[in-house]
Parts: sequence; C-alpha cells; structure tokens
Amino acid sequence: MVFRRGQRVEIFRRSDDESWAGYMDAYVGLHGIITDPDNTINDPDALVEVSLEGKGTHRFPQDCIRLLED
Amino acid sequence: MSDQICPVHDTAIKLGEMIDSGQLKIPRNRWAAEEIQTLMIDIAWGNGGPEHMPAIDAKVRQLEAECTDDACRSVANFVASKLSQYREIFASHVDTHNCPSGDCVKLAPAPCQMSCPAGLDIPTYVTLIGMGRDAEAIDVIRRDCPFPWVCGLVCTRPCEFMCVRGRIDTPISIKVLKGFAAERAMSEGSYRNPSREPAKGKKVCIIGAGPAGLSAAYYLALKGYDVRVIEQYPVAGGMLLLGIPRYRLPREVIDREVQMLRELGVEFNFNTRFGSDTTWQQLKNEGFDAFFLAIGAHLSFQMNIPGEKDFPQVIEAVDFLRGVAMGDRQPPGKKVIVIGGGNVAIDAARSCLRLGSESVILAYRRTRAEMPADREEVEQAEEEGIRLEFLTIPHEIVGKDGRLQGLKCLRAQLVTIKGQDRKFPKAIAGSEFLMEADALISAIGEYVDAACLESVSGLDWGRRKTIHVDMVTMESNIEGVFCAGDAVTGPATVIEAIGGGKRAAESIHRYLSGIPQPKMPPVPTRRGRIDWLEVPASTKMTLKRPEMPLLNVDRRRTTFQQVELGYTENMVREEARRCLRCDICLRCGKCVEICRDKMGVDALQMGYFDFDHPVATDYRVTEERCILCGACATNCPTGAMKMEDRDDERVLSLCGTILNRKKLLYCESCGAVLGPARYLDFVRRRTESVAQVALPRNLCDLCARKSTAKFSADDTPVKRK
Repeated sequence: MVFRRGQRVEIFRRSDDESWAGYMDAYVGLHGIITDPDNTINDPDALVEVSLEGKGTHRFPQDCIRLLED
Repeated sequence: MSDQICPVHDTAIKLGEMIDSGQLKIPRNRWAAEEIQTLMIDIAWGNGGPEHMPAIDAKVRQLEAECTDDACRSVANFVASKLSQYREIFASHVDTHNCPSGDCVKLAPAPCQMSCPAGLDIPTYVTLIGMGRDAEAIDVIRRDCPFPWVCGLVCTRPCEFMCVRGRIDTPISIKVLKGFAAERAMSEGSYRNPSREPAKGKKVCIIGAGPAGLSAAYYLALKGYDVRVIEQYPVAGGMLLLGIPRYRLPREVIDREVQMLRELGVEFNFNTRFGSDTTWQQLKNEGFDAFFLAIGAHLSFQMNIPGEKDFPQVIEAVDFLRGVAMGDRQPPGKKVIVIGGGNVAIDAARSCLRLGSESVILAYRRTRAEMPADREEVEQAEEEGIRLEFLTIPHEIVGKDGRLQGLKCLRAQLVTIKGQDRKFPKAIAGSEFLMEADALISAIGEYVDAACLESVSGLDWGRRKTIHVDMVTMESNIEGVFCAGDAVTGPATVIEAIGGGKRAAESIHRYLSGIPQPKMPPVPTRRGRIDWLEVPASTKMTLKRPEMPLLNVDRRRTTFQQVELGYTENMVREEARRCLRCDICLRCGKCVEICRDKMGVDALQMGYFDFDHPVATDYRVTEERCILCGACATNCPTGAMKMEDRDDERVLSLCGTILNRKKLLYCESCGAVLGPARYLDFVRRRTESVAQVALPRNLCDLCARKSTAKFSADDTPVKRK
C-alpha cells in the first residue's frame, strides 16, 4: 500500500520493527490521518507520519497501518 | 464523550466513592481525604498549580501517619499507589493544562494542537490573530516553535489535516495565518525574545544549524545554558536555507529568525565540519556538559544506472539546490531532466526554470497519484511549464566525449506483486526511448551522512541508517548525547525537526539538572484560555478559506521572487473567525443528544462531531428549529454551549458562534423574564393536556396564579388565628 497524505488510517496492530516504542502499544486500535507519507522513494520500509486522534503525531512502520477508506 | 479513562479524573472519582461509603470513621481522616480529592479535582479541571502536587503528597503523608484502622489505610494506600503509578500524568495535567484522554473535559486538547509535532497551541494563537493581536500570537507560538515565520511559509501543516473545520468544508489556513502574524510582528518590531533565565553555568554543544539544532539552541539558551552551534556551511538554517528554494522561503526570513537566537547569546561556529575541522575529542576536552547531534540527511541516494558517474552534468538535487542557495546562478543546462517525484525534485525542477533552462522535464516512475510531492507544488510547477513524464524508468545515461546527451528510459506499468498490496513500476519490454538532455538532476531521496559521526564511537544506529534514540527523550545510547531531526527520523518535515529539537532541549535540561526523564511522549501545553471570537452562524458557514494569491507566471519563470504572496489583513482576520475552538468544545455530542432525544427538537446539525464518519453540518438550521430551552447549554460539560440573556434577547452560542437569538417576552404584570415566544409556545403545547391553557396574556407563573386565584396574600392578608 502506498500511503497518501490525508488518508484515514488505523493502527491495527503492533509492529516488530525496531522503531516501535513501548508507549506505542497504547495506540493500537486508534484512528488517524497520514500527514507525511514516505516522501522520497516509495519505500515500503519507510516510516510514515500519522496524526492520531487525540494522541499526537508519530512515525510508524507501514506494517502496522491500514487504510480506513480510499 | 471520551471513552478513555484518565488516571487523574478516575482517582478523584474513586476517592470520592470511598469517602461517600463512610469507611473513614474518624473525621480528621475524612477531612484529609476530602482535601486530597479537592486538590485532584482542581488538577482535573485545569485549576492545578505548582503547589498542588506537593500539597497532595503532604496530605497523603498526613493520612498515612494518622490512620488507625485498616479502612483508612486502604484509602491511603490507594491514593499513594495511584500517585506513584501515574505521577507523570498528574504532573503533566498541572504543567500543560491538557488531558489527551479527553476524560478531564475541561482539559481536552484541540486535535490541531495534538497533531502538531511541536505542540503549538493553535486555537489560542489563531484567535489572537483573529483579534488583531499578532505580537501576542507570536509570543504564544514561540513558546513551542522558535520559527513561526519559517513555519508560516513551509510547514507541512499536519494540524490542517486534523482540523475539525475540514470535516465541514475546508480546514483553517493555520500555516498562512501564522506566517502573516510573524511578518507583521517582525515588521512592527514587536517580535521579541522572552527573557532568558539566569545563567546555569553549563554549556551545551550542538552539531548542526538546521531546524532541529536551532530549535534546541533556542530553548536551551532561554533556560540559561551557554550554547555553541557547530555548522559545516557558512550559514545557519540547514535544509531550510540550503534545500528549500527562496521562492518558497526567502533567505531573509531565516536570517531574521536566526538573528533572534544570536540575541539570546547563542554562539555559531560556521565553516566547521564535525569530524574534520573539529573533532569529538576536541569538543569533549572543551568541557561541554551535553551534546546534541542534529546533522540532518544531506547525502543523495544513487540511481545505480549506467553512466551515472560518467558525466559532470549529472548532479544530485541536494547539491544543486545548495549551490543555488549559496549564490550559483548558472543554469545546469538548457534541457534538463529531473528524476524523482518528491518535493526536492519539484524544487530542483522549478529552480532550473528560474535560472534560465529552456525545458525542464520531471521523470517519475509511477503516476501522478503516487507522487509524494505536495499537490500545490506540483500544480504550480506545471503552471510554470515543467513537463511531467509519468511511468518513466531511467535506464541509462548516455553521452559523448564527456558531454551528457540524454537519458534512455523505459515505459512502465504499475503491477501488484503477489503477497504485497502496493503497486510497483515494471518496465515494459521493448519500450525504450531516449529523452534528450544536457543536464540531469537526480532527486530520489536523501540519507544521513554517518561518516562525520564515525568518531562518536558506540553510537547506536538503526537499520535505516539513522541514529537510534529514545523517541520520548531524544537521548542516544551514549550518556549526555542527544539527537533529533532528519538524522534520527530520516528525511522528514521541518516541524518534526523543530519539535524534536524542543523535546531534546527539555531532556538535556532534565539531564543536566538531575530531573528524571519522562516515560511518555510530552503532552502539548495549553498556553492560554482565551475568549472566543463571536461570529453569527450564517457568517461562520459562509466564510470560505481564501485562495492564496500567487505571483504571475512570467515572473515565476524568471525570478526567485516569493511565489505565494500571502493573504491580505482582512483575509487573515476573517479566516481566523472560521476556527471552531476545539480546545473548548470537545465534540462529545451531549448537546445534540439532549436536543434530539430528550427535547424532541433536533435543532443541532453538527455532523462534524464524528471523526470517522462526518456528515453534513449547518449551524443555520439551529435558528430555524431551536426553542432556546437551554437544555444543551445546561448539559454541556465544558461551557462551550452557552445561553444567556443580553438586553432584550436570549442568545444561544457554541464557542462564540451565535446559533440562535430571539426577543425575550416579559410578564405583563411584574416584568419578570418569561423567555422567547417560541419557548413559551413549546411549553404550552407540552402542558396543554395536563393544564388549562392560560389566557393569551404573557404572565409569569406567579402572576398567572394570582390572576386566577380567588385570594391572594397581596390583597387578602392572612389573619392569625
């Protein structure tokens, strides 16, 4: 999935990626908006920036994000 | 309403239940518990101050010392364990006046503020700008971001993506308002630094004068630390100045905001490359108490195609943009191909055009839909004459006698690879074609130059070739060494770098002061509780986000003048009035439910309350249906919905948006307020089945009784028996 700015997404599971921090466990199940996608090389491994409703803006590995709508 | 539980609110409620249960038999114990609960409620309602936590601790100690039975001890233990477990959250409530759970309703932060990586208090400064108080707005912004003018021009504005107004029509133009206020304050001379704390006698070395380094420098200088910034280039700004062309971000804007840091005493060592001009050991020998590494991501990925290294006319976008920023005004060629689809590619292409290149083609492997560049930037580039070639895969760079002649490309189609849900460009066999060019710029991404940090032995690097840090504190695995910006995140946004720098400054301060580091990411701080702007519902609905006036295309193709000309003052003040003040209304929906389900009126059409499934909103509907009963205002937990009598009118407003106003009727006999006619009609209709409809006179209850009663205490005095 190539994420685009403004898409609504869900953090649907925790990730095993090294960038996943312990405090992010509380974000699983939350919804948000992609605010800065992988902005250079369309790399499925790149971290993308998501603004979570009520929980601030964080960079997540893409394997824990899914689209809520097109 | 929030479905999350805040430990502060929850502890206060549970303590209240324990008190009410009567388990505290000794009055002195009960009073202590009640005082603890009062202090906790203060914190949950935004009235907590620096003395609250010490006062709670003292009361808990008192309770523990005076307990004589198990019931009392269980209460004391309950409070003590909650304080121990959630002290950071209690302290955060006091410090920030924000509760991200939304459970403490008065402290529910606005989505825009929560989404900002630097935590700017957007509702407060937008309202101040709406009031024309630009300098105060800048003061508010600079408590979280030292560069409001820069951000007012180039921020990627995550706040606008979360802006609740966007669920109604379009988000508030937060970025542009900030830029206007900064420019106005700077122009008027009211853009000033806050006063610096007394000198701490400790010094911090910052490597890199980009947005992260400068942000950390500003907040550390304000805290009273001596700050020295080491920068390899002769100017401050990092990618702000070297990577963003001046038609988007004029150099003077950066210079003026950096000058504010100099005024705070921040020392800059320019033309000093870390690792060669100065070494890690030299700096450590100088006795710095902490280090902050913010070296950015300045190296370009290679395309790895034949010919890439064979021609001097093949250049990397970052180098090209840096050269232009440093004064090189030669076009790279007459026919230029830029490879890439991100903002850097667009910046390089548009810069070529301004330098005099006759044709500029941007070649991208995927389609327009996959382009990572900002849509506005792409549109502006096309307006200026940049040609976009999609589904084009660079195959080979060709030339003769050391001169570039062109780029061989293959046409591509997007295909889905089994097991993956993203589409990849796949070359179409036999589709090779040549694009002629005498210069080629590669803009396919940047990465961190780890070589300059080789001497920082033991520094933990992640598999993405970025420095691995604790993202809460920005602390690396080496004691006293903190890092932020692109060196940590990879190429990211200006506001993320600024937020990272601010967070690192706070952590460095804690480190140098012996204060424990936080465990959770910081909660943005509410910088004020400012009154709302009053706006009629019709105005609120009809005001539209203004279009940004742009420089004419001829001038855009030939000069580096700023493309976006900015809003006029009137546009700015009006735009600020569109703000919904989500720092006050937490969109719990109680008002809607009461009006629709309890009163049966259904006068509130607030479709924007739902994050996932917003439906139509129209404030104007309220005036058509609302009876001004006040049930919504009475049940509003935050005071956002307000009903009040002004002169001879009853007015209902939501965060200053006047939803309804109706003339009041008065008792014909005594002059008491009866309410608006629509409300009285509603009450009469509701009660006509159980009570005789009064005469068509407007009388208050008391006077109505008097008028129908046989006797009245007024004219028939009661006789004593």
